[in-house]
Amino acid sequence: MKHITLKFYILIALITLVNAADFNYNQFPIQDNGRIKPLDTYARNQLLSIHGRRSLKPQAFTEELTNQSKEAVDWFFDIALNPQKVDFYNVFNISNPEVVGSLGLKWTPKHLYSRSEVLNGIQHHLEYFAQIQPVEEEDLTPYDKEMLRVYKNLVLIQELTFSLSCFLPLIPINDINIAKLVDKREGDFLSYYTIMKNSNVFEPLFKNLLKKGKDNWDKTDIELGRIITSLNEINKDNFSKILKIIPPENPDINNHWSSPWEMMDIRTIGPNQSQFLDNLSNYIINRINGKSDSTKIYLSHHYNSLETYNNLFSTNLLKLETWYNDIQLFIKSIFFYILSFLFLSISWIYKPTIIKKMAFYLLSIGCLFHFLGIVTRIVIMQRPPVTTLYESVIFVSFISIISSIFLEIKRKDGIGIFIATICGIILHLVGFGYANDGDTLGMLVAVLNSNFWLSTHVITITTGYGACLFAGLLGHVYLIQLIRNPLNKKYLKSINNNMYSASLYALFFALFGTILGGIWADQSWGRFWGWDPKENGALLIVLWLIMLLHMRVTGLVKPTGFALGLILNNIVVIMAWFGVNLLSIGLHSYGFASGIAFNITIFVILELSIGLGLYRWANLRNL
Amino acid sequence: MNLHNILLILKKPKIFVYTIIWLMILVVIGTLAQKDLGLFAVQEKYFSSWFFNFGFFPLPGGRLTILIIAINLSFFFFNKNLFKLNKIGILIIHIGAMLLILGAALTAFFSSEGNMVIKEGNKSNYVEDYHYMELSVINTSNPDYDLYTIFDHQLFNRNQKLTHSNIDFDITVIQYIKNCEPMQRSHSNNIQYKGMLKNIMLNEIPPLKEEHLNRPGIIFTISNANIEIDGIYGLFLDQAIPQTLKLNGIDYNLVFRKKRTYLPFEIELIDFKKIMHPGTNIAKSFSSEVNLIESDINRKILIKMNEPLRYKNYTFYQSSFIEEESGETSVFAVVENYGRLFPYISSIIMCFGLLLHLIIKLPFFKTKL
Repeated sequence: MKHITLKFYILIALITLVNAADFNYNQFPIQDNGRIKPLDTYARNQLLSIHGRRSLKPQAFTEELTNQSKEAVDWFFDIALNPQKVDFYNVFNISNPEVVGSLGLKWTPKHLYSRSEVLNGIQHHLEYFAQIQPVEEEDLTPYDKEMLRVYKNLVLIQELTFSLSCFLPLIPINDINIAKLVDKREGDFLSYYTIMKNSNVFEPLFKNLLKKGKDNWDKTDIELGRIITSLNEINKDNFSKILKIIPPENPDINNHWSSPWEMMDIRTIGPNQSQFLDNLSNYIINRINGKSDSTKIYLSHHYNSLETYNNLFSTNLLKLETWYNDIQLFIKSIFFYILSFLFLSISWIYKPTIIKKMAFYLLSIGCLFHFLGIVTRIVIMQRPPVTTLYESVIFVSFISIISSIFLEIKRKDGIGIFIATICGIILHLVGFGYANDGDTLGMLVAVLNSNFWLSTHVITITTGYGACLFAGLLGHVYLIQLIRNPLNKKYLKSINNNMYSASLYALFFALFGTILGGIWADQSWGRFWGWDPKENGALLIVLWLIMLLHMRVTGLVKPTGFALGLILNNIVVIMAWFGVNLLSIGLHSYGFASGIAFNITIFVILELSIGLGLYRWANLRNL
Repeated sequence: MNLHNILLILKKPKIFVYTIIWLMILVVIGTLAQKDLGLFAVQEKYFSSWFFNFGFFPLPGGRLTILIIAINLSFFFFNKNLFKLNKIGILIIHIGAMLLILGAALTAFFSSEGNMVIKEGNKSNYVEDYHYMELSVINTSNPDYDLYTIFDHQLFNRNQKLTHSNIDFDITVIQYIKNCEPMQRSHSNNIQYKGMLKNIMLNEIPPLKEEHLNRPGIIFTISNANIEIDGIYGLFLDQAIPQTLKLNGIDYNLVFRKKRTYLPFEIELIDFKKIMHPGTNIAKSFSSEVNLIESDINRKILIKMNEPLRYKNYTFYQSSFIEEESGETSVFAVVENYGRLFPYISSIIMCFGLLLHLIIKLPFFKTKL
């Protein structure tokens, strides 16, 4: 109960904090991948797909730009409002030397390339792309996959670049008669959208023009003809339908949002949508003209028009999400974990009590950020914390850290801090590796789209993983302490007792989670158990722990063996957690895609040698 | 070694440790083998079997392993030291485990599962098995009813004779083919081929990993009819034109189909709905509106993903769908399982026991340096 109220308070604090700020241009709601998200997240995800990072560092700029890092959303506005600027950024991240070679690019250590370079390269391979497009993903070589990725990203960047071009004032009005008709001065520029909006003025003129023979055109007519040519030219951009920024006329959750280019047939548009288009157009014109005061006015107009859509999304959540994107809570938490570990190491040689205390406080601060990050994700997505591999890494490390903090509170000798920081640092680093494919806050397929089961089964089983890793690390600590001082029997016995409890605690969650998974399967498709690889993985953890506990009770293992068993259990957990995903990838996964297999192999070898090494050494010392 | 000696060995607590190690090995093998064999074949070979062959060695399969664990576990309850207050948690955990194994046994031996495929606006009252086939001989002469004679999959062995008083001829199985490919016969010189086999031969091809993609077929002879009919016949799953025979004034249809189980009620599919996450190809939910018809009483029911229909020991799950121009077809997984409550009960008992034991022991909290 206390837990829930605490969560609640943090939430309130967060939302008030975030709400204080005005609606900003990075909070434009966009419909993407089945969810309404702020433009900020959207731009970050697109940049991530092309560039491999969520923001731009100066190394990706050509000389035309000043040397300052750029947020994804600013990059997006820069290229969308000035399409010629797209080539100022070397955003294409191509790290496969073969692909770089066949696109005719120069291999540089940064391997970053601009759109025009990639476009040039791709144009020589159009036939090849036509051939591999229909091929099944699993039959593609890593080279094919990388080429396809580059190709798709090229299409993506083209769409992004021209997504707002209908609002850009590109058509000069050089004739006073035409300018008067639309309340402009001679020499003003109009956008495609403005002309379309004033089609009742322009359409009769255009029709007249066509009736008149080209020989009879006067000055105004020639100007009109030029406008038609420009319109046709700009209209070529209407392939860009990617930016779903205009909400549907009726606020229904299942309605599609539209991109500006899909809205250019102005006559078919309802009052709500034209309101949005007008605001957006005015915002963009003013932004281009550098009038920041006016842009604020149109932003607040846009914000006010969104109010009727509050059954689709909450503007507060948009603000919260941009805040979450900016603040990078998990970077903060790992920073504190590292700091805490350093303090702990210092405490081993200097002023143990006070420095250890400081290490504990640093750990707690890190854990608080960690917790805040998880809670924010829950609030943004309105679903339980673990739905992707990335989120599972974040959650598992949180569980191990919380367990270790409890241990530390009981023992007060630094073992808890040691386990928590080691676990936190390693798993955070693993998590950052997955962040690029899992942190995009995507939607779930139907069978997983059940908050009840996600919050029971998935949470329990991941808690089980966390508890197992905690128990495994405790196993390491036991063997290390035994090697350091085999004579301190009382101290060793206390750790031994902790190990036993930890293994029961791990078994509880692993068993309960596995059975809940079975019950979910029974509820969803009628079989409790199907011998699916993921199920088997969870079962193996349970069986391993049961085996260890029975070995202990029947005297087949001594405490050192039990500790070794818990260490090896880490391998079982990693196999069940990550290894199972490899099975489905199939035999064709090698090269660049097999990073995960490589990492698992390294982990297994490392953990095996550490475990067996410590065990052997401990037994020699313990004679 | 007599039974008594075997039981003496199985009593030992250490046997449990060895058995569970073997079980883990089985699980690992069974998981890895899925890559090549597919799920169903792996289940049959390793998990639902008493023994399986490793080269020439017969090794204990999943069922035998679980049986040994069950026997070992039942001896555990005769342990006098067990019935003490501080071990109550342990006792409860083991009772839960015993119940789990019991439920598993009930499910393994008495449950059945299959598909019910219904097109919008149509009705169905039978379930098709996922894996097994049947050969049905249908007497269609009577205008009021059809007389079905069904031969089960267990009978599809070489030279097995299939006879019944309902039918005036004998069937002898020549070959049951797990996965076949019908191919045009270039020239037939064997006078004995009758029906479809005159023009088409059933080529045996290796079974696929995805079992449901296989097309099983059967080749058999018909004898003791008359010289016109006697000969070699072939049938395969989802054959477009059924094999018909006319003998002694009776019309027969021969169909090779998925094994059917008839239900005491009917299901009518009124409407199938699919909702996508807006702007994506990811489905958000599937649901089927159905009529459950039993003795002329209609009940409207909505079957959704994660919200099945339970009725008379049968459970209907929304499992899949087919979209065609002519309309939508909903596929339900239908399961009949008497043991389905056991995991629920046993998991509650086991988790309660574990918690109790944790609280009783609690060295975690006792320990102080």
